[in-house]
Amino acid sequence: MAVTQDRIVEKLEAGGQGAYVEFYDETEERMVINMGPVHPSTHGVLRLLLELDGETVMKCLPIIGYLHTGMEKECEDQTWRAAVSIVTRMDYLACFFNEQVYSLAVEALLGIEVPPRGKYIRTLMTEMNRLSSHLVWFGTQGLDMGAISAMFYGFREREVITDFYEMVSGLRMNNQYFLPGGVWEDLPDGWEKAARAITSLLPVRLREYEELLSENPVFLERTKGIGVITKEEVLALGATGPIARATGVDWDLRRDMPYDAYPDVTFAVPLATEGDVYARYRVRMAEMRESVKILDQLIDQMPSGDFKNMDPKITHPPREELNSSMEAVIHHFKLSTQGYTVPVGEAYAAVESPRGELGAYAVSDGGTSPYRLHVREPSFVNLQSLAAMAEGGLVADLIASIASVDPVMGGVDR
Amino acid sequence: MNTTEIASSEWRGRAEELKAEGWWLADLCGLDRMQLGFDDRFGVVVQLLHRERKERQTIHISAPGEPPTLTSVTSVWPGANFFEREAYDMFGIVFEGHPNLDRILMSDEWEGHPLRKDYGVGKVPVDWIEQPVLQIGAPGQAPNADDAQVRLDRLGQPILPEGIE
Repeated sequence: MAVTQDRIVEKLEAGGQGAYVEFYDETEERMVINMGPVHPSTHGVLRLLLELDGETVMKCLPIIGYLHTGMEKECEDQTWRAAVSIVTRMDYLACFFNEQVYSLAVEALLGIEVPPRGKYIRTLMTEMNRLSSHLVWFGTQGLDMGAISAMFYGFREREVITDFYEMVSGLRMNNQYFLPGGVWEDLPDGWEKAARAITSLLPVRLREYEELLSENPVFLERTKGIGVITKEEVLALGATGPIARATGVDWDLRRDMPYDAYPDVTFAVPLATEGDVYARYRVRMAEMRESVKILDQLIDQMPSGDFKNMDPKITHPPREELNSSMEAVIHHFKLSTQGYTVPVGEAYAAVESPRGELGAYAVSDGGTSPYRLHVREPSFVNLQSLAAMAEGGLVADLIASIASVDPVMGGVDR
Repeated sequence: MNTTEIASSEWRGRAEELKAEGWWLADLCGLDRMQLGFDDRFGVVVQLLHRERKERQTIHISAPGEPPTLTSVTSVWPGANFFEREAYDMFGIVFEGHPNLDRILMSDEWEGHPLRKDYGVGKVPVDWIEQPVLQIGAPGQAPNADDAQVRLDRLGQPILPEGIE
């Protein structure tokens, strides 16, 4: 194994990572092939260098970077507020989480508080986002296992939720709705009815999905005992989120280190111990049901008041004040042209995204734009655990494992 | 934030102690401290999480030398593998003892380390192996490489100064 590993690395060094390495070793009957970067089940542009012994995966090397656009660098040229529009594009299935974690880090640097309504709106939108993200995972997991209808159903319900995003933020993806200090706009009229429609629809649909897949013999055959990873491996490789919870790691940042409105809601953290694809499936399905419960509590308890920190030095003044107040005009002009300054310092904030611990590390040199912004993307880290899941299994099982890791390449490559 | 600084020579040993205490590596990233007033320009910032105590801590380690060098902690926390490769790719920090220290996000033939502060955004022409042919001049006139350079200058495209990667 090690010998062949060296040989792959040798070939890569000769031709570079972009080299199309493929060879067949006659003495060991081993074959090295590329899976991706445009394979339909790699969920984007993930390339896996596989060493095969017949149908068995002996070695799996993820090669990433095909979607790299230098977002961390770009943020250094933006004002603190405008950088939200870049971070939201990282993990494009969980846009609100990116905005939330960035806002939390900047708020920690600024030392400002978010009013209760702002916290609740953020939590409401992120829990909706968890549902929509897990619905895409449900669709792709089903699709990769041959259940094409799962894709249609998953996207049907996601559509309802993206309609809600559109109603609240004006956009269906990459919303730029959160900002340091709260959210950009208050919830529109009729939001409660629309949100209730989602929380009453989802439990019914989720039950249907469970009927569709949970007891399906073909699905069970493809997922039970497949892509097994142990608790020790998960902790060593740094994997978080449903992958870790499916091995019995009882850790959820929402419950254990609560932020925004999570101290005010009660929910269970679903766990499993098997660590296989099916365990991850069960955990994610249970998480969706818990999200619906959280949403119901948030809608019931939604406080009134300000939806963002009203400090005029960091937030645009209300539009109507511009007609009557010179101060408001000055603040508006200053914020729009140069932005606000952030005290010198550093901050790390972390949230529980659908894929695990999403962290943002921000450094300020006292200027109007981030000195350095680093995002700890859960997909990027979780991808390291793919090799542990795939090695020793069949190529067909590798497909199931990729789907259950649920990587979003926009987040992996940033 | 609970922040400490560790000397680069002590980092590997301290990492083993921290792991034994139950700290889990949450994040590791490079940092170019050019304008922050540190002795060493490059450093690594590590975020650790203690699940039982529900605590976080931040550790700064400077990476001295040219190229900046630091001991790898992949043997302590295997999850540091991708993080260290990213720090190498983006800042050129060399991690000694890393099993496969390679560029991870940029392509292998890429020159320079993009997140360094002297690597400007939009100021460096994207230099692929094959130079693109610029269509300039009157229609029907064959494009000329020298003309392309002149045209680019006239458009105000900043020219790469000497010595910057």
